[in-house]
Amino acid sequence: MEKKRPQLSLEELHQLKWLLGGVLVLLSVWTVFYLEIEAWTLMGLTTVAVMAALIRPALPARLPPWTHRLVFPAVVMFFIGDLWLNTQVLPAIVRLDILLLLYRGVSYRQKRDDLQVIILGLFLIVVAGVLTVSLAFAAQILVFTACALAFLLVINLVESADAGRPKDGAPPRVPAWTHLGWRRLWARLREVADWRVLVLGGVLFVGVVGVSALLFLAIPRFQLENSLFLERFAAKKARTGFNDNIKFGDVTEIQQDTSVALSVDVTDRSQIPAAPYWRMLVLDEYRAGSFRLSPLLRYREFSRGERVGDTIRGTARSPRGEPVYWTFYFESGVSRYLPLLGPFAQVRFRETQNYRVATNLGVVALREEPAAMTAYRVEGMDASDRLPDANFALRLLKLPGTDPQSTTLKMLGLGVNAADQATLAGMVREITGGVALPVAEFSRRTEAWLARRHRYSLNPNVPGGAGDPLVRWMASGEAGHCELFAGSFVLLARTAGLSARVVTGFRGGTWNGYSNNFTIRNSDAHAWCEVFDAASAAWLRTDPTPGADAGPGEQAKGEATLARRLDRSWAARWDSLRVFWYRRIVNFDQRSQVETLKAVKEATEKSGQQLRVKLSEMVERLKAWLASPWTAERVAKILGSVVALAGLIWAWREFGRGWWRQLRRNAPSGDPVRLQAGRWLRELTVLTGASESAQASARSWVVGPETARVIDDLQRLRFGARATWPEPEAVFRRARVAVRAERRRGRVTAS
Amino acid sequence: MSAAPAALTSPQVAPPSGPAAGWSGPGARSKRRRFTWNALLWALIFPQRGQRILPTLSGTLLIALSLGIGMAAYNSANNILFITLSLLLACLILSGVLSWLNFRGVAWRLELAPPLRAGHEAVVGLGLRNGKPFLPTYGLWFELLARPVEEGPPPPPKSTITGNDLGDLDVRAAWKQAALAEQRGQLFLRERLDPRGELRLDWLFKPTKRGRLSVELAGIGSQFPFGFLRKHLTTELREERFVWPAPVDYRRLAEAGARRTAGGERAARAGQGLDLLALRRYASGDSHRLIHWKASARSRTLLVRQFAAETTEGFSIWLRTDAAIWTRPEQFERLVSFCATLAEDLFRAGQLTALAIDDEAPLPVRRVRDLEQLLDRLAIIQPRKELGPGHAVLAAEPKAKRNVLTFAPDGAHAVAAYVDGEKTATT
Repeated sequence: MEKKRPQLSLEELHQLKWLLGGVLVLLSVWTVFYLEIEAWTLMGLTTVAVMAALIRPALPARLPPWTHRLVFPAVVMFFIGDLWLNTQVLPAIVRLDILLLLYRGVSYRQKRDDLQVIILGLFLIVVAGVLTVSLAFAAQILVFTACALAFLLVINLVESADAGRPKDGAPPRVPAWTHLGWRRLWARLREVADWRVLVLGGVLFVGVVGVSALLFLAIPRFQLENSLFLERFAAKKARTGFNDNIKFGDVTEIQQDTSVALSVDVTDRSQIPAAPYWRMLVLDEYRAGSFRLSPLLRYREFSRGERVGDTIRGTARSPRGEPVYWTFYFESGVSRYLPLLGPFAQVRFRETQNYRVATNLGVVALREEPAAMTAYRVEGMDASDRLPDANFALRLLKLPGTDPQSTTLKMLGLGVNAADQATLAGMVREITGGVALPVAEFSRRTEAWLARRHRYSLNPNVPGGAGDPLVRWMASGEAGHCELFAGSFVLLARTAGLSARVVTGFRGGTWNGYSNNFTIRNSDAHAWCEVFDAASAAWLRTDPTPGADAGPGEQAKGEATLARRLDRSWAARWDSLRVFWYRRIVNFDQRSQVETLKAVKEATEKSGQQLRVKLSEMVERLKAWLASPWTAERVAKILGSVVALAGLIWAWREFGRGWWRQLRRNAPSGDPVRLQAGRWLRELTVLTGASESAQASARSWVVGPETARVIDDLQRLRFGARATWPEPEAVFRRARVAVRAERRRGRVTAS
Repeated sequence: MSAAPAALTSPQVAPPSGPAAGWSGPGARSKRRRFTWNALLWALIFPQRGQRILPTLSGTLLIALSLGIGMAAYNSANNILFITLSLLLACLILSGVLSWLNFRGVAWRLELAPPLRAGHEAVVGLGLRNGKPFLPTYGLWFELLARPVEEGPPPPPKSTITGNDLGDLDVRAAWKQAALAEQRGQLFLRERLDPRGELRLDWLFKPTKRGRLSVELAGIGSQFPFGFLRKHLTTELREERFVWPAPVDYRRLAEAGARRTAGGERAARAGQGLDLLALRRYASGDSHRLIHWKASARSRTLLVRQFAAETTEGFSIWLRTDAAIWTRPEQFERLVSFCATLAEDLFRAGQLTALAIDDEAPLPVRRVRDLEQLLDRLAIIQPRKELGPGHAVLAAEPKAKRNVLTFAPDGAHAVAAYVDGEKTATT
């Protein structure tokens, strides 16, 4: 007869409820780790207080009753004060939520308070998920769901166990369950647990995740007007970032950060250039050691006003044939300027955005830097090193003269004093030999000139002295980084009468071999140049940084060039998970839904076809097998196989099942007597130095006769049939005495 | 004299035997319906007959939360919100699956312990059985209802009830009265019902008046597993029992006991007398001295002697229920209780021989079973509207018979018992 399993008492259920409630509070408040809202102090305080209340559940009883009456007004005051001082709604609500969770975590809870913990926790996690679109959200919501379901189950069991009992007055100040220890609860949980129920619970939870995934795929999607943006209620804060005023060293600083800045999916790999340049920002004005987007250019290019929408029409034309889509997953905290390879036919956002487009510059800027990952899809993008700009060619023609405004607009302004201008002119003469060169030739020679004089280094040394720092650096032989090289090139080109500008963004990236996408990290940040070629009325890209040849050799495309960038490291695995999250979850829309259905349909049809082919092959093989000659040997083999199979089935039915049942009956799992006997046996084994299996032969001379008898009895209790057991308590008493005796013997032998 | 209830057992109310006897519910063995996909889909969409599912406070909260998150998800096309919505809906589905699993394999039956007496506490046992192989069952509650069964033929069925049908009946008052006569109770499954385990829950209640009583399992409810939904099943499990009249205290007035005939009487029931009543087969535990060796040798079967009981004096009770005599209902109730108490006391003393009701033939009372049938009859007896032939004579009748106990009103409330016309006891 199966042994009756014990049950948790009402007090133990209360204790379990307290534990799960505390865990939920901690799980919720730990969202602060990736939610970029200033609540670290509150989070730390909540963690410490809730953990203290978990370890010592009697602690909350020490709070005087009047403190509970003061809590509500204090929380309201805190919220109003927070809102007034910081003037940000969402951070104030988040801090209020954490404060309420703190209070619920350290006070004894009724049922409604328990439900409040779940609601508050869920709010915090969902807000963090919406704001950050982080993969951590997926892990956290899963753990939170599992804990919340267990919590609700225990609440329900507590209610059931307490149902119908008369309630006599207010609950006691110190609940009775607080005196129970956690170790005892753990032991009781182990006693009560049934592995079959636990496995079923696990399977059901996996089922919940599966069903929710199916629901996620199946929920019909239709776009309503976007009117809820939680991001609006939170202040934006950049960790790193490109902005329109870059001092020397800024890009290099970004390069220290190895986190992912951008992930790119492309529908046609053959279109990926071997060295992609992800343009973000154009800087035209040089002044006092820094390049920036001049106000004049900003006014001219971005003056069309801010637009609202989810689609941007570009100037490029879509090539014929199957369109190529580039899907960008642009991480938060990088910039409000979108990385692009070049001119495009169309950019489509997942959500409506406020943006400005500088068509001539090939730059798209969002109104604010996004707080969460921003996904956008680009169609018909030209990844070549040429950026046609007919308007600039016209401007060059129409704006003669040398007034500062014209110079700025023509991107010919140097921003250095006369002495430095003279130095620059000398350098240009050295490069060109005093001859006017075509743009390509000038670029080649200037790059070579710079590479001869300077090495590449992330730790440059700009010599001190009077005049412009960039000119000083050019005049020296010091090593430099990409910004110095790009800036030098621009000054030299402008001195030579060529319109030039600095472009910042990312260069290169790695090809993730698991998720088949480009991963660009902040460490790929780069600065390069564009020189205007009046002959072709286009800006030509040139990268003067040594080792970064942007010439025609780098313009190769296709899968072969990706092999050099292939990344199959563990970091790539993690990134592939992130990309999966972005592709399949965050960026899932109606089109994805249709594509998924289409893929499922195709997979079903394909698998059906394969199955039919396999079946027909099997039938053919069977026919061939039947048609082959029936020799005596073959018949004997078949009969032998049939007999062997029948024998196996018979043996299992006769002996195997019984043996299995016997094995399960004798299994020591869970039986406290068998477990205790095992513990005593292990202790005696250690003391006598004999292994458990070798005891039978060794103990006669290793241990004393009484100890040997005790070991015999313990082994019977551990492994023997229950009917043959001696009195367990008496055996354990004797075992205790034997252990002491063996210890004494050991000490005597050692001395 | 105090009339304590006798500890009688009745064969009519013995607990049902056999593995499936009396069991009801999802786990009771019944003919399985043929599986069809249509039936399954329909069952998923529409609750089965007798099932009611209502959201609880936390369930309402969950649904409101799902609606809110759903609206926000559609409003912002944010997939994080869609994920949260999917998880919430999946949790709701899980709740339904676990609730179904919790009820699955569970069977219940009513176990009424006899006898039921008006004014005395009765125990209604609710047997529970979990037929699942390894899953326990938690958190059920059971609603029990005890209500008197109306005597008389049931009203003819009508599809429509009109005002004329009701006559002067005040429906609300009738409803209130019926509700007052009902007794409701709740039983809670506080512990875990182990797989393949059985459990019994007891409901104590006090029947207020004699008659036929219907004890029903009105419903089974559960909020398992997460308390989102309150699932309620109705059942048709119903047991009917007689509620015997309440015992009353009475006072003996005189030594008007039964007249003893010389030599006593031999009663035609088994007892410890000297006269041989019959022979029967030997049963384990019989004294060897009782073996009738000659008869055993002749029949080649061990036979033992059975002696007749010997009574010294015996009483017959004649209960007359004419409405003309018993004009006050409470006095009539007192009469029935007095009669039942006397019958039990006399039987316990071995002095009750027969009981007659009105003009019916006297019923001999030899065994416990006879007494129980008698009490069952007294449980439902009502005043007789039509007068019987002997209604004019009360205490003096019948003079020709000996040791006949009759009853008559004693003042406005009390009832007196007469033996052969002599007042013997009163309540």
